[in-house]
Amino acid sequence: MADLMDARPRAIAALAAHFGDLDTAEEAFADACLALTESGTAPQNMAAWLVTVGKRKGVDRIRQQGARQRADDGAMEIAQIKEGEMDNVIQLPEAIPDERLRLLFICCHPALALEARAAMALKVICGLPVPAIAELFLTSEATMFARITRAKAKIADARVSFELPPRRDWPERIEAVLLALELAYTSAYADAGKSRPGNEGGELADEVERLTTMLTELLPEEPEALGLAALVTLARSREAARVDGEGAMVPLSQQDTALWDKARIERAGAWLDQAGEAARPGPYQVMAAIQLTHARRAYDGRVDWHAILVLYDALMALRPGAIVALNRAMALAEVHGAEAGLEELGALEAKGLENARPYHVARARLLDRSGEGATALAALDEALGLDPASAERIYLENWRKRLAMGG
Amino acid sequence: MQYTLLISENESIYEGEEGGKLLEEVVGKHMALVEEMTAANAYVGGNRLLGAGAATTIKYKAGKGTLHDGPFAETHEELGGYYVIEAETLDKALEWARKIPVPGDGAVEVRPIWQYEE
Repeated sequence: MADLMDARPRAIAALAAHFGDLDTAEEAFADACLALTESGTAPQNMAAWLVTVGKRKGVDRIRQQGARQRADDGAMEIAQIKEGEMDNVIQLPEAIPDERLRLLFICCHPALALEARAAMALKVICGLPVPAIAELFLTSEATMFARITRAKAKIADARVSFELPPRRDWPERIEAVLLALELAYTSAYADAGKSRPGNEGGELADEVERLTTMLTELLPEEPEALGLAALVTLARSREAARVDGEGAMVPLSQQDTALWDKARIERAGAWLDQAGEAARPGPYQVMAAIQLTHARRAYDGRVDWHAILVLYDALMALRPGAIVALNRAMALAEVHGAEAGLEELGALEAKGLENARPYHVARARLLDRSGEGATALAALDEALGLDPASAERIYLENWRKRLAMGG
Repeated sequence: MQYTLLISENESIYEGEEGGKLLEEVVGKHMALVEEMTAANAYVGGNRLLGAGAATTIKYKAGKGTLHDGPFAETHEELGGYYVIEAETLDKALEWARKIPVPGDGAVEVRPIWQYEE
């Protein structure tokens, strides 16, 4: 199945180019995968096989939709594919040395709405289900579904090209490319225990780290690409420390720094230095700088919360948002005390965070620290009611037990 | 597939003596562009429109039309001309659209033309 996932972006890109329509491409790919399972063959070139079969399956579908063609044409013998047929797998110029990255640039066409670009990239490339994408964009499933549908319709109606754009057109795509990768990573990272669908075994995190690393080589002059790569790599450096022996999540401040991957931390630091040379600050560089400040704990045993608070102020100016404000409030609490943090959180309450788990977890932490056990318990219950992934659930439940006993 | 390229510009930059010179230059670029499109078999048609001052608009409210002096959209940029081109993909159409000279403020809207089923 890992082979299938590897072949997915190349096959979808080829099928989309062939049909000029992403829906047909996705359906044809699914049909081809089914045919592969049924046939029991193990083709040498998985992507080529899937594209060849997918093209036929896609045509079948289009015919069925037209309700004209008899089924006999569609029942072509899959086993009879000749080697020569493999040649029509699209030959794209090798300017971007990776299928997924290439498809990402194609999905991030500037003729599509910015949010739709990243959302579609997540669906098409990472295969993330629509509800998961909606959660990442803090929007409803219906809204996200409509957004993706509209983008796909525009691709088909206006005939958006599926060819890789020339390098001079990359800059106008990079914002959406980075956003898609960031959200893919957020999705992978949100689940410390790697149990959610689409992220079994942490494949998505591997993939995003690989793609962002590749971007640093492809666009070394783009400081935000370096910043995102640093951000992703720093998060990955802590992977071994994020879950304990019981499968419970371990929050950053309690992680054993001996388990952090120093090679990754140093690589990220180097990327941030390189990004700094361009003197064009941006949100990813600032976010990475915040994570790098946390990472220093592995070297000098302390966290410079003053620096982190200043960085959050910068981030609020560059990319204001509810979650950023929430994290800033937590940094503020470290510098000026839990009371100040709670006051700041109170001011955020009206901003649509009442259904966001991190908000309730943050409140629980500060309430717990201020000795308000009962209110902290209530906040934890709110958080537990908002569907945490298993590792976070265990962590929150353990915390709740401790609090309940202490109170 | 055919696309229309709708050119909206702030007309005021073509006023006065300096503006007249600029206009001459821009018209020259349009003529060169038409030649280039024709050579590439992309040119279907196109026109420059008279100024928005010459426009009359029938505005409808619940199906009932009334005449108004002036263009439909009350913006600084007015529809000043259009091309109809043949292009394989939106990206190719956008490539042509980017070649349209717009020396000041303005916009070029690229719209696919409705295709009737055969």
